[in-house]
Amino acid sequence: MTTYRFSTGETIKHVVLILGALVVLLPFYLMVSTSLKAPQEIETNRGGFLGQQEMMVDGDCVRQGNAEEDCRQRPVVYNYTQAFEKAPLLRYLLNGVIVTVSIFIIQVVVALPCAYALAKLRFRGRSLVFGAVIVCLLIPVHAIALPLYIGLAKAGLTNSYAALIIPWTISAFGIFLMRQFFMTVPDDLIDAARMDGMSEFAIVWRVMLPAAVPALLAFAIFSVVAHWNDYFWPRIVITSSQELFTPPLGLREFKGEMADHAYGPMMATATIIVTPLIVAFLLAQRRFIEGITLSGMK
Amino acid sequence: MARLHLKDIRKSFGETRVLTGVSLDIADGEFVSLVGPSGCGKSTLLRIIAGLETQDSGRFEIDEQRVDGVRAADRNLSMVFQSYALYPHLSVGENIAVPLNMRQLNALQRLPVIGPFLPGARGRRRAIHAQVARAAEMLDITHLLGRKPGQLSGGQRQRVAVGRALVREPAAFLLDEPLSNLDAKLRVHMRAEIAQLHRWLGATFIYVTHDQVEAMTMSDRIAVMLDGELLQVGAPSEVYERPADIRVAEFIGSPKINILPAATAADGSIACLGTETRMAVRGAEVRASQLGVRPEGLHLSREPADFTGEILHLENLGPELYVQLRLQGCDAPATLRADAALLPQLAVGQSVHLSFRRDRALAFDNDGKAVETRLLDRTPQTTPASGIKPEQGIAPDLGEERRAAHV
Ligand SMILES: Nc1ncnc2c1ncn2[C@@H]1O[C@H](COP(=O)(O)OP(=O)(O)OP(=O)(O)O)[C@@H](O)[C@H]1O
Ligand SMILES: [Mg+2]
Repeated sequence: MTTYRFSTGETIKHVVLILGALVVLLPFYLMVSTSLKAPQEIETNRGGFLGQQEMMVDGDCVRQGNAEEDCRQRPVVYNYTQAFEKAPLLRYLLNGVIVTVSIFIIQVVVALPCAYALAKLRFRGRSLVFGAVIVCLLIPVHAIALPLYIGLAKAGLTNSYAALIIPWTISAFGIFLMRQFFMTVPDDLIDAARMDGMSEFAIVWRVMLPAAVPALLAFAIFSVVAHWNDYFWPRIVITSSQELFTPPLGLREFKGEMADHAYGPMMATATIIVTPLIVAFLLAQRRFIEGITLSGMK
Repeated sequence: MARLHLKDIRKSFGETRVLTGVSLDIADGEFVSLVGPSGCGKSTLLRIIAGLETQDSGRFEIDEQRVDGVRAADRNLSMVFQSYALYPHLSVGENIAVPLNMRQLNALQRLPVIGPFLPGARGRRRAIHAQVARAAEMLDITHLLGRKPGQLSGGQRQRVAVGRALVREPAAFLLDEPLSNLDAKLRVHMRAEIAQLHRWLGATFIYVTHDQVEAMTMSDRIAVMLDGELLQVGAPSEVYERPADIRVAEFIGSPKINILPAATAADGSIACLGTETRMAVRGAEVRASQLGVRPEGLHLSREPADFTGEILHLENLGPELYVQLRLQGCDAPATLRADAALLPQLAVGQSVHLSFRRDRALAFDNDGKAVETRLLDRTPQTTPASGIKPEQGIAPDLGEERRAAHV
């Protein structure tokens, strides 16, 4: 049997890590817990994590002239049905999928050839171009938001999917990450592909892309998480058409309309929004970490 | 099948001059080895031939057709890389099929998912499949076709790489140190297999290696390369027995040739370590200043003979024995190859007499170029010690003039 000995160093390490984990997890705990409770429990902060789940009466339902008997519900059911009924949440989720997936695919289509050229082709000004990519990494989105908005407005593209997607299609980070990964791909492999009759583009899609799957997965997580959760940019370019709202914009609906007692449905919405990402991450976790550590191919 | 013709190929990377004027003619179906120490430019030359690198100047022709500027893919050459360079995400069968897919299917037919259903694709794919199966059978890797390269041993990967190269029947094969990642035993085995493959296919092979044993055993001709130039191109026996340059003599042959200081008298006779060698240079202006004697050209002798030396070290290899000696009057240690049966009679520190085979000694001038020599008399060789037979093999051509090899 293994015996565990007390060690101050290890203990301190674990205390720090546990505190860090708590700080990160606490908001999630509150979000999930709130999404399960009845309004009174939320206000008075009672009921533990799950709440008492006592039958509650839906005020709106009664106001619409239904009998009180018919409007009794468990708080969980109430919160989550409200999430879908009060706003077209499915539509928002679909928008989120359309926008994030389009962004990611176009980013890959742009970044892979760029990264390949920067990593493996010799041409004049290569280091200059790569320097420019690094500089682009340093520019914060908010700094260029206004010019971007004006440009899109002039082109008449606000309130469209294009406005949500186009500004993000060229990812300096994606180019940088993939370039670093491609550096680890042996030159011989590329030369072999050339001897086998592949054009440079064929090499990118037939050799580099399959080799880069772990790195692409890592990039996918960064890209999808960033744009799925983005509130700032959709808020700027989607001003009128509600049917283009992405999930974070949809979350706002609850704030405006229903004053203070809509926390339950709101947190239910938030939970629904983050769940796909967490599930995707858990599924991809192992390969994701492989990609981050850029373990090349041997 | 192809004849290759290289004329005055030069290449520099920035300031470093890697190739300084390489000219080489390779006949159809010939097996030429390119040997030389690490960094001498062998891979660079091969890559220029392959079309993966462009030369700064000079011309390269395949079958009288100038191909400078032609893409690697369009030169119809195959290359086997030192690292094998197999596609890690494709199975062995798919790896071997790649060069055929790229040539025999059009862009649409190559598309994943829908490609196989396009008109004409099925027939072509079946033909490709048959070609892959034939190549696999030839290399005895049929049972591996479904595996990924990551699940293969080094030797198996090597075969797959060869399979991918030979499946499309190229004009010539370029092999860049294909065996250097294998262990010694497998290397010997694969050496024989590649030589056999060459006989089967009858194709032109250019084989880069820094292992001179590989070069000696497999090739029709050896091209010895040093510092970006070809010092000598010739049959293995010619390069070994009549090296044109002292650097070739030193590079080819293991253990290394013994280089002894020599002096040429006014009448042309050569003295070495204070002994008259009874050899003379041909030509009045020629001066030999170094004498090269291969380890098998030195013999232990009972009676006082050409040299005396002290044994520094004994290496028993089983069938034969390497004796490291310090010759009197020479600082560099010399090596002698003897029968292992002599081991009990020898001891480190012992002083021994040595004779050398004059008919196989090589003379070089100050610049290291080989000089022609002749033997001055026909006195029989000093009798070797009992148990040591003079080298069999090549019959001594005593007295006959010896022509220096030339490139
Ligand atoms: N792309 C390059 N850029 C700069 N220098 C290079 C490049 N490729 C090769 N060299 C240089 O050219 C010289 C010859 O290289 P090459 O690879 O041809 O040697 P080699 O004879 O194949 O050696 P080895 O037996 O180690 O493979 C080396 O000094 C190397 O540093
Ligand atoms: Mg090399």
